[in-house]
Amino acid sequence: MSEQVLTRKKSRLIRELNTVIAVMARELTVFFKTPSTLVLLFVMPIFMMGLIGGNIMGMADGEGLGTFMLVGMLVNMLFMVTAMGMTSLVDDHETDFNQEILVSPVSRYSLVIGKILGATFGAIVSMIGTLIVGLVMGITLSIGQLLLILALSPLMCFAGGAMSMILIGLIKNKKTANYAVMLLIMPQMFLSGAIIPINESNMVLLVLSRVMPMTYCIDLARAITSVDAAMFNPLINFAAIALITLVCLMIGTFFFARSEKNR
Amino acid sequence: MEAITTITTNNNTVIEVKNLVKRYKGAKTPSVDNISFSVKKGEFFAFLGPNGAGKTTTISILTTTLGKTSGDVKIAGFNIDTQAQEIREKIGIIFQKPSLDRQLTAEENIRFHACLYGMCSYHPTFKLMPKAYRDKVTTLAHVLGLSIDALFKPVKKLSGGMQRKLEIVRSLIHTPDVLFLDEPTQGLDAVSRRGLWEYINSIRNQFGTTIFLTTHYIDEAENADNVCIINNGKVIACSPPEELKKSLLKQELILDAQNRNELTAELSKLNISYTVNGHINVPYAETPQEIISQLKTKLSVLKIHEPLLEDAYIEFLNKTNNHVET
Repeated sequence: MSEQVLTRKKSRLIRELNTVIAVMARELTVFFKTPSTLVLLFVMPIFMMGLIGGNIMGMADGEGLGTFMLVGMLVNMLFMVTAMGMTSLVDDHETDFNQEILVSPVSRYSLVIGKILGATFGAIVSMIGTLIVGLVMGITLSIGQLLLILALSPLMCFAGGAMSMILIGLIKNKKTANYAVMLLIMPQMFLSGAIIPINESNMVLLVLSRVMPMTYCIDLARAITSVDAAMFNPLINFAAIALITLVCLMIGTFFFARSEKNR
Repeated sequence: MEAITTITTNNNTVIEVKNLVKRYKGAKTPSVDNISFSVKKGEFFAFLGPNGAGKTTTISILTTTLGKTSGDVKIAGFNIDTQAQEIREKIGIIFQKPSLDRQLTAEENIRFHACLYGMCSYHPTFKLMPKAYRDKVTTLAHVLGLSIDALFKPVKKLSGGMQRKLEIVRSLIHTPDVLFLDEPTQGLDAVSRRGLWEYINSIRNQFGTTIFLTTHYIDEAENADNVCIINNGKVIACSPPEELKKSLLKQELILDAQNRNELTAELSKLNISYTVNGHINVPYAETPQEIISQLKTKLSVLKIHEPLLEDAYIEFLNKTNNHVET
């Protein structure tokens, strides 16, 4: 029997990039094969932006609160949906697919980065849903503001994905992972000022908000879209997000690789 | 009981295991208890043992998916502690438990694997993948009796046997230097089993692939170059199958005659020991010729019983278990 010629690529960098693309493509393929997920991600903003946001807007009735909230909610959706998407790694553990992934000769970072990029797609769907709900509520952003948020969206998604990796790397059960990620995200949604301003928060909450990456993501988004006065210099925000993301990515990837091996 | 070990290490060694120990968290006893063995390049090495003996634990350590407690492991010259990625480049594995993405199609699973092993760049459809990839997938699918139609079905719609075939195709797509097979033919029909072994033999001949097999079908290990038997985490024997068989089992002539009394009387007269077990079993040392040539009684049955590896394997396990009990 003659063997077909199928040789390995030599460049390490190209192979790692190819791995990132393959992992991301797998996430997208699965995503499109489960239309119910797509619908849920599209509908979720109705509850998040429409109901929660609508209620708060009705109570506060402040000028510009709508745009303030829309930008906060867009960042929140990017952050939250990416973080939740990462729980598919726990699925892979439960179905033993992680064995196949972890025995492959690629960097664990490439695997995790590919996963985050795959989960980013779902986040973008939710972001579009949020914009549509905003439009229905009469809240709009200019094309320039929208493009700026889109340009920042990979950073926001990476921050959310990397942060949830710390938990995902330690958890082996899908149900627990879902609860844990919600526990990680929900406080950030309120404490980071996604919905309501946090300037008047007490000291404890203010300190808490400063250790949450979503705070910097939202502050940066509002500052560059000129929706609200920034708490921090955008460069500080950017540096804080990048640093937290990098640290979370390293710790989360370490936990992920170690948890499978260290039994 | 003394373990039989005749395997030696040399420059050609591709798997080297020394004093390997694995104790799972919270376990009172180690699953793998101070085992040592080596496998030469291109060798067909069978690692046999009953359920829970430590086979899969050992394979998991050798394939870098499980950490060891202590001991030294080298695969293809690379140290498992410091060069795990280099080892992963050299190996392929068919896992004991299915490890497929059930939401993807069979081909999508293979494509994903091929991309992770750097065999080709990712393309969104099979048709867009390089021709070499498409040819190899169809060739392997044909060898294992996996229809082209099945390649494009979601894995969850394939039968258990088909899923097993798919895993085998996937593990062979990157033509590894060392192929670990953890009960690869479990759930396969006879035709597919034969097809798989023919293909594995062909890649061994063509590429000098080293095969590390665990199986409960002991006949699959008959052609192994070396067999290692593990029980309760310890290696109890390690040598070529012929030596294992010779060390425990006798070769026998199976005889019978229409006049059985005349035959047994003749055997007794010639001072040849025998047992009656259905027919008359006569053990011999070197060649059966020396016994047959002395017999005058007209024989109705004349067969040579070559001991099977399975007989030796069971004998070894029984002896070890008895030894442990006493």
